Amino acid sequence: MDNVNVTAPVKRKRRGASLTEKKSRMGWIFILPFIIGLVLFYIAIVANNLQFSLAELRSRSMAQGGGYYLEWVGIDNYRYILTELQVPNAEGENVMFLEVLGTSFLDQIVDIVTIILLSLFVAVLLNQKMVGRAAFRAIFFVPVVIGAGIIAKIDSSGQNIILEAMSDGKTIETGAVAGGGGMTGLVSAMDVSMLFMNLGFGSGLVDVVVGLVSDIYDIVNRSGVQMLIFLSGLQSISPAIYESAQMEGATGWETFWKITFPMISPMILANAVYTVIDSMTSESNTVMQDILAMEGYSYKAAASSIYFFVTALAIVIVYLVMRGFVFYNRRND
Amino acid sequence: MDNNNASPRVTKETKNKIRVEFDRTPLKERLKAKYLNGFFYKKVALVIFRFVLLLGLSYIILFPFFSKISASFFSPKDFLQTDVKYIPKFPTIDQYKYLITENHYLKAMLNTFLLSGICAVLQMVVCAFIGYGFAKFKFKGNGIMFAVVLITMMIPHQFLESSMYLKFRYFVLDGTGIYSALGLTQGLINTFAPLVILSLTGLAFKNGLFIFIMRQFYKGVPDELEESSYVDGYGVFKTFFLIIIPLSVPMLVTVFILAFSWQWTDIFYVNMFLPSSKTLLLTSNAFWQQMPATLEAASAAQLSGATAASDLYVVAVRNTAGFLVIIPLIIMYLFCQRKLIQGIEHSGFGGM
Repeated sequence: MDNVNVTAPVKRKRRGASLTEKKSRMGWIFILPFIIGLVLFYIAIVANNLQFSLAELRSRSMAQGGGYYLEWVGIDNYRYILTELQVPNAEGENVMFLEVLGTSFLDQIVDIVTIILLSLFVAVLLNQKMVGRAAFRAIFFVPVVIGAGIIAKIDSSGQNIILEAMSDGKTIETGAVAGGGGMTGLVSAMDVSMLFMNLGFGSGLVDVVVGLVSDIYDIVNRSGVQMLIFLSGLQSISPAIYESAQMEGATGWETFWKITFPMISPMILANAVYTVIDSMTSESNTVMQDILAMEGYSYKAAASSIYFFVTALAIVIVYLVMRGFVFYNRRND
Repeated sequence: MDNNNASPRVTKETKNKIRVEFDRTPLKERLKAKYLNGFFYKKVALVIFRFVLLLGLSYIILFPFFSKISASFFSPKDFLQTDVKYIPKFPTIDQYKYLITENHYLKAMLNTFLLSGICAVLQMVVCAFIGYGFAKFKFKGNGIMFAVVLITMMIPHQFLESSMYLKFRYFVLDGTGIYSALGLTQGLINTFAPLVILSLTGLAFKNGLFIFIMRQFYKGVPDELEESSYVDGYGVFKTFFLIIIPLSVPMLVTVFILAFSWQWTDIFYVNMFLPSSKTLLLTSNAFWQQMPATLEAASAAQLSGATAASDLYVVAVRNTAGFLVIIPLIIMYLFCQRKLIQGIEHSGFGGM
């Protein structure tokens, strides 16, 4: 740095960085713990995983001293996973990994949209004044604290036979187990599909609706954090705006679409991104289960890298799609 | 209505008292006008709809707890009776009794409490620190580093299990002999250290979300607050600890509750880093997947030969163990839920 200053004496008058620059550099100190973690182990761990995905673990013969070593195989593991490997899908049939990835991706989209709509709807309801509001709020945030994950783990460790034994006969056969299956026996899949068939909807839509109904337990339990975020967003909308809208004679419907929805749109974006991350990385996800059940570090590592890119892609897509709808209420910009 | 036109009759009763009489619309008429109209019907219908909907969803959320409570009082004999559904015929507290005594429930709970407490405090402070850095300082690379935070959230740690295990098994100081001097035969495995290190660096479970929440909160804090503090001669850190931290207590409480309970119910890290029975935790397989010997014997005695029923009983015991894991959390939640909701309500997510 000194040399530069000698050759450019004009700059010498400036005493290093300005106060604001100095201050903004302090930001690095605040995020230092995170950077230390990255440097100390996180990057190494991820790199190690990546290395596994590009190599194969071989054991050395005893004559050579035993132990294991990694043999570089390039993208062979990836090729194997994408073109040859068969994994069980949600129904337990063995299909190509890519196919499972695709179907689970589509299922995720339906789930994510449902979670966001449901959590927004419930947050709006919980924000209204009514009898038992505190109790309802307390109940709805139980899954946030207790964690649907552990309930699902407890249930799945016994494949729900208790619940099946307790509830009568006909239950929805799909999806219930993955989500903890607390709702087996509440609604019969037959009833739902009959209702929709009679209403004259196509079978594709029927499947989606039946899937959602049987997943309702899972979906409600995964909506907790989103509800919290929406609720906080709703609380931060100034009541004065609603008041003036009411004075102008706006109906509740108009108020929702013209005020609540735009004001809460940044939260919808944040929630969409969070929901994508959460549901792509949750263990109830078929692809996650398949990857975790894979044999061999290398295949696991390769599959997880592929899956990571799919997740990242999903987030970028969601972000780009949602960004257009977001309204920022900023006075200064 | 007529009574607007009819002027009220005022009569003077005593010196300081007057009596006003006017024709009031009869009660029946008033009630009719108030309740027998479309607007009121709609409102009632909406209120009922809302109530039923919320009640139904609450039922969905709470149902697993009911079924667990019910199954926890079953005795092995109950599984032989096909007509027993939710209410056991031979209720017993044996499941609780032997899980608590033979599986060392209290020891596991104490350990879990310690671990969750330590990790939650560290995560709360560290995530507040990092979040503040992202929210208030416009340094070069702010955006990129925040993207890195999001990326760390996107890679589930389950994928990194083996690498992570090896990393903490042979963590940094390995080869210096410090671990063996401390009596640690397996590096940092079977100590709280891996989870503490993860918490200290903001890389533990869902810490990305906490960093995000704190960043969002601090973005809503007006810059003028810090500026005035700088003018008064405070440095950046003094400002943070003396002014910003007290301001963000509700939000910190929320993060603490989330971190605490997510650590409490964590199964993955606990069984990876703390497999030894010395550090027994509630979510260790040694506690909640283990069948107490006495119950095993009771099941064998009462259900000799009936494999289906004894399988069910094993599951019932596991359910009870799982329920025992979450009971302390539920109790804690009952006390803290108001704080949790208050904190998030005032989080200033509107300033996004």
